[in-house]
Order: sequence, then C-alpha cells, then structure tokens
Amino acid sequence: MRTYIKFSLFIVLAFLSSCTDVIDVPVQEGPTRLVVEASLDWEKGTQGNIQTIKLSESTAFFDTNTQTAVTSANVIVTNDSSGANFIFEHQSNGEYLTTNFEPILGQSYTLQISYNGEIFSATETMTGVTEITDVFQDREDGFEDDVLEVHVIFTDPPEEGNNYLFKFQRRGDLLPELEEADDEFVNGNEIDWWYEIEENEDENVLPFQPDDIVDIEMYGVSRAYYNYIDILIDQIGGVGLFEATPVAVKGNCINTTNADSYAFGYFRLSEVVRTSYTFIED
Amino acid sequence: MNRQNTKDPFVRHTVWSLWAFFLVSALVMGQSNYTINGTIADKSNGETLYGASVFLKGTTIGGVTNEYGFYSITAPQGDYILNVSYMGYQEINANITLNRDQKLDYEISENSTQLEEVVVTAEEPERALLRKPEMSVLKLNIGTVKQMPVVLGEVDILKSLQMLPGVTSNGEGSGGFHVRGGASDQNLVLLDEAIIYNTSHMFGFFSVFNADAIKDMKLYKGGIPARFGGRVSSVLDVRQKDGNNKNFAATGGIGIISSRLTLEGPMFNDKGSFLIAGRRSYADLLLKLAGETNSVSFYDLNLKSNYSINPTNKLFLSGYFGRDAFKIGNSFDSSYGNTSGNLRWNHIFNDRLFSNLSAIASRYDYDLGFSMEAFDWKSSITNYNLKYDLKYYLSNQFKLDFGASGIYYDFDPGQVNPTSETSAVNPLKLDRKKAVETGLYVNAEHQLTSNLTAQYGLRYSAFTRLGGQALTDYANSQPVVYNPILGIYERGVGIGETDFAKGDAIETFENLEPRVSFSYLLNEESSVKAGYSRTAQYIHLLSNTSSATPLDVWTPSGKFIKPQLSDQYAIGYFRNFKDKTYSVEAEAYYKTVDNRIDYIDGSDLIGQNTIETEILNGEMRAYGLELLFRKNEGDFTGWIAYTLSKSEQRTPGGTAGGLGINDGEWYNAVFDRTHDISISAAYRLNDKWSFGTNLVFQTGRPVTYPNGQYQYEGLSIASYAPRNSDRLPAYHRLDLSINYKPNKKPQNRLKGEWVLGIYNAYNRRNAASISFGQNVETGANEATRTAIFGIVPSLTYNFKF
Repeated sequence: MRTYIKFSLFIVLAFLSSCTDVIDVPVQEGPTRLVVEASLDWEKGTQGNIQTIKLSESTAFFDTNTQTAVTSANVIVTNDSSGANFIFEHQSNGEYLTTNFEPILGQSYTLQISYNGEIFSATETMTGVTEITDVFQDREDGFEDDVLEVHVIFTDPPEEGNNYLFKFQRRGDLLPELEEADDEFVNGNEIDWWYEIEENEDENVLPFQPDDIVDIEMYGVSRAYYNYIDILIDQIGGVGLFEATPVAVKGNCINTTNADSYAFGYFRLSEVVRTSYTFIED
Repeated sequence: MNRQNTKDPFVRHTVWSLWAFFLVSALVMGQSNYTINGTIADKSNGETLYGASVFLKGTTIGGVTNEYGFYSITAPQGDYILNVSYMGYQEINANITLNRDQKLDYEISENSTQLEEVVVTAEEPERALLRKPEMSVLKLNIGTVKQMPVVLGEVDILKSLQMLPGVTSNGEGSGGFHVRGGASDQNLVLLDEAIIYNTSHMFGFFSVFNADAIKDMKLYKGGIPARFGGRVSSVLDVRQKDGNNKNFAATGGIGIISSRLTLEGPMFNDKGSFLIAGRRSYADLLLKLAGETNSVSFYDLNLKSNYSINPTNKLFLSGYFGRDAFKIGNSFDSSYGNTSGNLRWNHIFNDRLFSNLSAIASRYDYDLGFSMEAFDWKSSITNYNLKYDLKYYLSNQFKLDFGASGIYYDFDPGQVNPTSETSAVNPLKLDRKKAVETGLYVNAEHQLTSNLTAQYGLRYSAFTRLGGQALTDYANSQPVVYNPILGIYERGVGIGETDFAKGDAIETFENLEPRVSFSYLLNEESSVKAGYSRTAQYIHLLSNTSSATPLDVWTPSGKFIKPQLSDQYAIGYFRNFKDKTYSVEAEAYYKTVDNRIDYIDGSDLIGQNTIETEILNGEMRAYGLELLFRKNEGDFTGWIAYTLSKSEQRTPGGTAGGLGINDGEWYNAVFDRTHDISISAAYRLNDKWSFGTNLVFQTGRPVTYPNGQYQYEGLSIASYAPRNSDRLPAYHRLDLSINYKPNKKPQNRLKGEWVLGIYNAYNRRNAASISFGQNVETGANEATRTAIFGIVPSLTYNFKF
C-alpha cells in the first residue's frame, strides 16, 4: 500500500515534467568495500544442498571495470544450533560453492568470511514462503492501461509478519526487477501481485508482448532483510524529487576486525518459489 | 504531566520590570493633548490601506495605519498640516486645528500611472520607516508583483518574494518557500489570519494566492512581532481585499493555464461591500477534449464581505477554498486543498483603543483513491482559532499591542479504506491527535529619544497535547535504537501501550518568547537597527523527501517530539540616497533552532502510526548576510538582491545511542544556498508599453550522490555518500515580460492589458533533481537530470471594468 502511495507522487511528477536527459556529473569516491552476495535460496520441494556465495569488491560509481571478483577468501556457514559447518570452496570468478548444505526453516545460521586478514560475519534465520496459487495475464490493472501485466496470486499466512521479495525478469532483458512486500495492510488476505513493464523509448524498452516469457521468483525473507531490501529497491533506478534522501545502505555483514570497513551485500536465507509465464494473444 | 519551563526567571523579570517602567513613564507624559483617529482608504474603491503614513508636518508626531486602515495620533493643541501618504498614492496635506479629539477619515488616489512602482515624495514618512524598529520585513506592492515576469503567465506572490534577499524556493516543482535557511514548515502562512497549510497548486508550480483578490502581504523574516507565534522561521501575512464599496467592478484575466474573474461592489446600502474571486485552470478540459484519460486541474475561490454596523463597529467575513485534482488513467486520482474562513469584529473602544476579535477555522486535506486496488487514503489537519487583539495608542512615544489567542488542532494523519468488497487492502486508521495552543502577548513600540525607537514585547505560549488515544511504550523508552553491531538505527520494540483518557493531557509545554528590536536614526538618510527574537513552534510537517509534497502530514509536539525553539539575532543598516531615488538595506542574522527532527536512514513516513520510530531529535543553525539595493523612482525601477548564507543541521543519536546522523557532525540543510542573487527591473517606455525582467542565480541545492557501486542480485547497486554532501548544478535563469496597454478613450470603462512573458529565456535546463541508475539496455550507470521548465512563453490578457 505504501508503495502505491509513494508511486502516485512519482507518476504525477513524471506526468508534469517528463523532461529528462542523461548528463555528466562528478561524484565522490568512497572507500572500496567487500561485497557479499550470500543468498542461500532454498527452492520449495528441493533439497537445497547446493548453494553459492559470491564475493567481489565495490568500485567507483561510474567505473566500468568488472574484474572485481574476490578469489582468496575463506567462507564458512555454521548452523547455530547443531554447530554443523558448511565450507564454501572457491570455484572461479569469486563464486564459492558447497554441495552439502542442510536448510532448516526457522534455523539461525552464521556466515564467516576471512579475507585480507579481516573477519566478516553475519547471522540470519532461514525464512519460509507460501505457495503461488495462480499466475495469469491481464491488461486492466497496472499504472498504464492497455499494457499487459502478469498477476501472481498467493494467500498470505494468517499470522502477521510475513515479508516477501519478488524478482521478475523477462527473458532477453539485461536486468531483473526486484519488488518487496509485507503483510502490514493485507495480513491473511489473498493477494493479487501484478507486474508490468512500462514503455521507455529512450532505452528501447517495450511493455510485455505476446510470446514474452517472464521468470518469477517469490522469496520469504526476514524482517531485517525486508528493511534492508526496501531501502535498496527504493534507490535502484535513481532517487527523485519526491523520494526519501538516498543513503548508504548497510547490510548484516559486519567486519569484526575493523567495524568501519563493513561489507556491502547481505547474508540471506530464504525459501523461494520459482515459476515462469508465457504471454499469449488476448 | 511533564512541564517544560524553557525560559530562565532572570529574563522574565527583566522584561516585565522594564516594561512597567516604560509604561509609567509614558503615562505621566500626557498633558493638554488631543487625539485624532480615523481610517485611510483608497479613493477609487474604498479599500482601507495598511501601512499608510499619517504625519503632522514639521513635527516628529505621526504613525502608520494598522491592518484595518486605522490610525490614531496625539499631539498638543495647535494648528498643523496633516500629511497622509502611501507608496504609489498621491499625498494629501490638510490644515487641521487641534483643539478637541476628532475622527478624520481620508481617501487618497492612486498615482495616475499605475506602473510607477514606488513613489515617495513626502519626507516624513520615509524617515518614519528608517525610524521604525521593524526590521527583517519584506513588503511587496501587489502592483509590483503583477508586473514581474512569471512562468506561464500566472502571477504569483510567493515567486515574487523569492526575488528578495533571504527567501528561496526548493527549486521548480516543489511547494513552499524557505526563509533565512529555514524549512518550509517553519513559515506561518496566514490568509486573512487563517493558517494555510499548503501554499502551492500543482506541486509548487503555482501558489494558492490569486493576486486579484489580495490587498497586501508582509513577510517577517525575523523580528517577528509578539502578536504572531507558532513558527520559528517566518510569518507571511497575506490579506484579502475588502471589496470595492464605491461601485461595482470586475477584474479578470485570461491566460494559457488559468482564467480569473473577480467581482466586487457595495452592498448593505453602502454600509458594506463584497468581493468574490475565482480562478480555474483548464488543462483538464483540454486533455479531456483530446481524449486523454489523465487530467490535472486546480481552482481557487476567495470570498470577502464587510459590514459597518456603526462608526465604531465593523464586521468582516472572509473565506478561501482551493483545490487541486489529479487523475492518472483509471489507476488513481487525488485531490487536495485548503479551506478557511474567518469572522472578524473590529471595535473601536475610543479614539486611542482599537480592537479586533477573530473566529477562524482552517483545514487542509489530502485524498488519494486507487480504483484498481480498491482503496483510498485520506488525511487532514483542521484547526479552530479564536483570537483577540488590541492596540492602545497611549501617546506619540508609546503604543501598545496586546492580546490572546487559542487554537484547537485536530490531526487526522491518515486512514485507509477499502472501496470494494473484494479489495485486498484491510482498513487502517492512524491515531487521531488533538492539541491546544494558546498565546498571550504584549508589545510596546516606544520612542525613547528623538533618534532611538524601541519595540519590545513578550509572548507566552503554551501547548497541550490532549489525550483520547494510546501511545506505544518502548523497551528502555527508546522508540529508535542504535544497533551497534550493524551500525544502523532501527525501530524500537513496542512493549505495550499507555492509554490516555480524553480529558487528560499527554504532555504540556510552556515558553516565554521575548522579542526586542531597536532603531537608531543616524541622520536624515540612514539608520541602524538591531533585534533579537525567540519563537516556539509546536507543530511539525513530516517530510523525509528532498521536496515537501502535498502528501506530507503535520504532527503535534508531544511525548516524543519536542517543540522547536529558535533564537534569532539580527543587525541592519538602512540608507536612502539622492533624495530617496535609491535605497540600500543590509542585514546580518544568526539563528539557532533546537529540537529540529531529522529522519533515520530508511525511514518510512507513509501510513506510519508511530512517527517516533522514524526520527531523531537534532538542531539547526543558520547565518547570513543580505543586501538589497533598490532604485525606487523614475521610468526605470528595480532592485538587486544578494544573500550569502549557510544553513546546517546536526542530529546526534541522543537516547537512541550511537553518534547520530552523519556521525553526529553538522551537515548541510536541504535549503542551504551559499549565494543567491536576484535582479528585478522594470522599464516604462510610455503609457502603452512597459518591460520587465528577472535574473536569478543560486548555488545548487544540497543533495546526496552515489560514491560507489557494487554488484548484487544481478544489478549494479549505488552506494551513497554522506547526507547532503553534494550539490546540484547552480540554478540560474532570465525572464522577460512585455506589457502593452492599448490606447483606450478615458471614458471607456473597460481597460485591457496584454502581458507577453518569456520564462527562462535562454532555456537553461535547471536540474530539479538528478538521479542515478543503470541503463536497462546497456547496463551502464548513468546520471539522469529532471528539468521542469525550459523556455516557456506565455500570453495573458487582463481586463478591468
């Protein structure tokens, strides 16, 4: 609901101005930080034993260098109750892999990374997710009429405090789109979550067309992760006039050797449902 | 109940005893004196004039009219020449014999050439302004405002004020204005004494004031008189016309955005008059014709009427209704606006004691409806205000203002209602909040010697947050908690609720607000002035965006939010040159504001019931130098204004722990502008043609840019630098206008005028914001500028008959 209200201002501004261009702007350069993409995603109905953690370093904002992989770190995840350790071995390009992970819903885990003589650590709980009950297409909803959107239907569990992360990616598109939701105003209801793509002539983006395939992922996430990704998503794609002042978003990976050099990214453990949808002529 | 006594007893005693001393000394001076009083009005339409000078020539005895055109002066028995003058009007010199108390009303005529802006011919009145301790005040003649070039031909008093030193906007596409480095919610905006909570139409493109209905306006940037209270930065006092009481008149205009029509005339057998003014935009009608489903519109309605019961009693009724509406396809529509009304009773007790009683109501509400998702959102703030103001003209050396006011507030911060059976949204009602603000004041204007005049006063204000709601209790009484492990501020943990009964007070605050200023006349041409004022603000606008939006809600002080308290010091030098053809005003100020809140990283204010979990208490400081050079006379008039200033905030962790926002260091406030230069000029070629121009240059607004990027979830994520540590590119633009008055025979009642305006003549793409993101096609990071107005020509036709 908040998203809708915030979005309403954004749309009005776009409607009133629609006068944008890309310009050169000098920006400051902050410290280089370790980036931890430790998303241990457990797809519903699978064993979830194969997990990957990606490590890299941050760069200057306009830097186009992509060789930022961190290849020499030691990565361990521990089950906080049993003490079982899962060692992630470096494969290539900063990707660390384990094949014997044991996911347990509601279980707390700790991540420990040692890199360049510093220890980074994070603790998080594996969070479950409900089933998607239906996926269909329509044109009626959405902020733009006569544009195809995909609807994801699910029923929020009766207890309060469920948080969701959605990831939508049309096949062939370069970038995925993330959206977050919580049950604050819709607890226990059947929820119709729609996603559409707005036309953007400057960047050659077309709305969904028949035969387009969209991949859909719905994650159950912790409240702490929700708070984190909520800010991150608000800031993806830029922060306009009517949006909150942007901030340096801190995740849960702290540096126990030197607190000021905290890491970007997050140690997340989520159950996920994945599906895809192929648009048809209507 | 927690009482907060903010003023130390020393100040309290000193002020009261000084005051008693002056009062006694003033009283013993009266001998065989007589008093004249009356009202000064415009001859053509009977509108009373605020700030007109009434002087006895060859003496220093005189004064200026109050908001209702009333004056009272007292002098020893004798023969005098009474001089009445007002800027832009012809003066009157009348021979009077003062041998008894008498009532003398005068009507003065506007100078034949309306375009001549400020014509000062009388010596005494101008000296009076130099002598008056009033400082940090901006007054713009409505005639001047109407001549200035404006965007899309919409005359806008707020945009005109921004051409003067110490006043800035937050850029195009943002509502409100900023005074001396203050926030827009720190301005008290009054329209006929009623509080206006949102001053803009269409997200700040236009102001809510229809210039045709406005008589005058005054902006107090500092040295706020004791009769005003409730905001720490400024008071904008706008007054509507009373309506022509001589004959029926219509004025109006047809522009490309909106059209206006004002009707006024006498009523009640010439014992009163009325004014009704309407303005409406018509983009929505055109969009509808073009088959668009998106629509945008606004309208205003100003009403005023007055009735003289007898020479000592007069009633005024005024009202304002304004509304904006947006509709975007069938996805959502929104509508918001101000409504206000005021009933006033002027009563003249005797020739020296003037009084006014006002009963005022005002309301601002915001509605947003989502038809597809089947819910709507409504929020509002309503207040009822009763105030009684008196002015006692004790002697020529001593005038006294005193009065009291009470405001009852009802805050409805928001409710969500499903609009259909199948809506997935559950109803929600944020806690309604109620509060009472009271004020008592006394203020003296005292001429101490022939060169030294003082104005000193005291305002006592109190604010009670009323019960009738529950408040969350937090673990360790911390609504916000610093998480030292992650290094972030988090929302506190609610451990229960405390219910406050309807009759109970949740919290009460009291403040004593001394206001003092002095003026010392150096010679006939120049004076120095100095002032100090303390002001308290009990209600706050919650906004964590770089630009205030119509959606932002007001919230009262209470258990978690303390009243803002400001101390401001100012000194100034004022001088006229070349027989008042030129004038220079220079002022320097320093002000501090305690208890200014700021928002924690990731704060969420929309639909937020527990605002206290999103904020930290901090402080502000601002200082600056303002210069204003004016040419007041001749065919070529105008001014150059320059402001050099700094405005900063600091928000320590306080009870939440941690260092605070930006590690507890000072950071730029969003409204900080290092340099602000405005040049406004008008040239009158002849009776038909005249030209106007504005040139503005301003340091860019402080913003937060990225200082790094990283890969996460298949996206390049920007990481941002410390709060407000970057700046938008400098803002500058040039506007031009041409006024043409076709030759009309003098006997024709219809008088027309064409105004051709060009806003942003060299088409500068001033950034309203710059946002950073990834190009979805290439994946490369880029900076995108949003510019609102490029070059905008406009044509307006104004008429009057």
